[in-house]
Amino acid sequence: MSRVISVHSFRGGTGKSNAAANVATLLAAQGQRVGVVDTDIQSPGIHTLFGLNQEAIRYSLNQYLWGTCDITQAAHDMTASLDPGLAGRVYLVPSSIRANDIARVMREGYDVGLLNEGFRQLVKELSLDVLMLDTHPGLNEETLLSIAMSNTLAIVLRPDHQDYEGTSVTLSVARKLKVPDLVLVVNKTPPVFDPEEVKERVRTAYECEVAAVLPHSDELMALSSAGIFVLRYPDHPVTSLLREITARLTA
Amino acid sequence: MTESPGFILVADDDAVNRLLLARGLERDGHRVRAVANGLEALEALRDGLFDCVLLDVLMPGMDGYQVLECIRSEPRFRHIPVIMISALEDVDSVVRCIEMGAEDYLPKPFDPVLLRARINAGLARKRLHDLEQEYLEQVGHVAAAAADVETGTFESRQLDGVARRDDALGQLARVFQQMAAEVQARERLLKQEVRQLRIEIDEARAARQVAEITQTEYFRDLQAKASELRLGPDTQE
Repeated sequence: MSRVISVHSFRGGTGKSNAAANVATLLAAQGQRVGVVDTDIQSPGIHTLFGLNQEAIRYSLNQYLWGTCDITQAAHDMTASLDPGLAGRVYLVPSSIRANDIARVMREGYDVGLLNEGFRQLVKELSLDVLMLDTHPGLNEETLLSIAMSNTLAIVLRPDHQDYEGTSVTLSVARKLKVPDLVLVVNKTPPVFDPEEVKERVRTAYECEVAAVLPHSDELMALSSAGIFVLRYPDHPVTSLLREITARLTA
Repeated sequence: MTESPGFILVADDDAVNRLLLARGLERDGHRVRAVANGLEALEALRDGLFDCVLLDVLMPGMDGYQVLECIRSEPRFRHIPVIMISALEDVDSVVRCIEMGAEDYLPKPFDPVLLRARINAGLARKRLHDLEQEYLEQVGHVAAAAADVETGTFESRQLDGVARRDDALGQLARVFQQMAAEVQARERLLKQEVRQLRIEIDEARAARQVAEITQTEYFRDLQAKASELRLGPDTQE
């Protein structure tokens, strides 16, 4: 049975896309067939982590939503460029970074319902075990749809006051949509914080399981922006934490 | 009186020479210990912190060469200037002593002016060496303090000695102490905040935001068909 996992954060800059890309890669390393859709149409980004050159591709999620291509044509197999040794597959459906395309989405919008149809088609046509949705921060219509469709929703937050309230709002909304599995990921935790204590406090405050507490450091920021962290640094302690998150999201 | 007196070891088997040297040196304000042979000289070196050694070349038992060799091979003593005492005509022995590491030589019979000049030059070299050693030790303290900051074991008072210097190293130590204190204060504050980590949410405002989203027609529609939207076992038929 396939599973849809949305990775969301109420505010930007939490490291949501990074977490999604690394979890997808770890799943593929376990032999799973994984699809990743960048539903952050207004500010796409996850393609850079996968190393996809958008100039070299013809179709993205935008073309699918405008009816000019099939969703599977917008799905790019990233496995070979990530690591040919991966036992599974990673397919990426990027959102277009062309200024005209983004402007058109903002101006004309699109039929949000097509997303659901497209996600189902992707899962079916590509025989996906897991479909991961990298969402737009906040709670707009496509994000709400992504959340509603999810079997698991991972909400990424930083341990700071700016993220607390938005996370609470997202959780309330997800509970009203009866998402079966909700989990929090605390990211960019200052080194002075005790991860176990942060985990317990966040869990208590939201009455929601915390999959992991990831640390913040300048070194990590620099290393993780250049590609898929778990492939470049398989023995790093943060990779172990990302493995824990992966195990929890697919438990 | 010399401006910078030192502690001087005189080793000479001739009692008259010992007396003459000791008196001359004490008149200039130095502290003196006089011994009669090489073995006593080495024992005295082990007991005291001498600034300079006046060493007769020819002594019964252990002679001046042997004592000089011991001094130069022992790390604790090798920096102490050694001035050899020899007869004026004995140029070969003077050359040999210089080659073995003696700083200088003093011909017999002693000339008080020459004695003073030789001793002062030796003491100046010793002081320069001591200052250099002290400087290097204190640089070591600063380096150790940097390592302690990294491991979180730094205590601000551990650099007090270096910080009292009135040179650039002292300034470095003071700035370092100040910066480390600021970092420690900041860390203490952060730790305090962690202990007080409160996840405070304005429930009323959050509820308003939730209501704004959930009361829309789009959301109600989504809510009604959410379970249908989720992929079920039929998706991969």
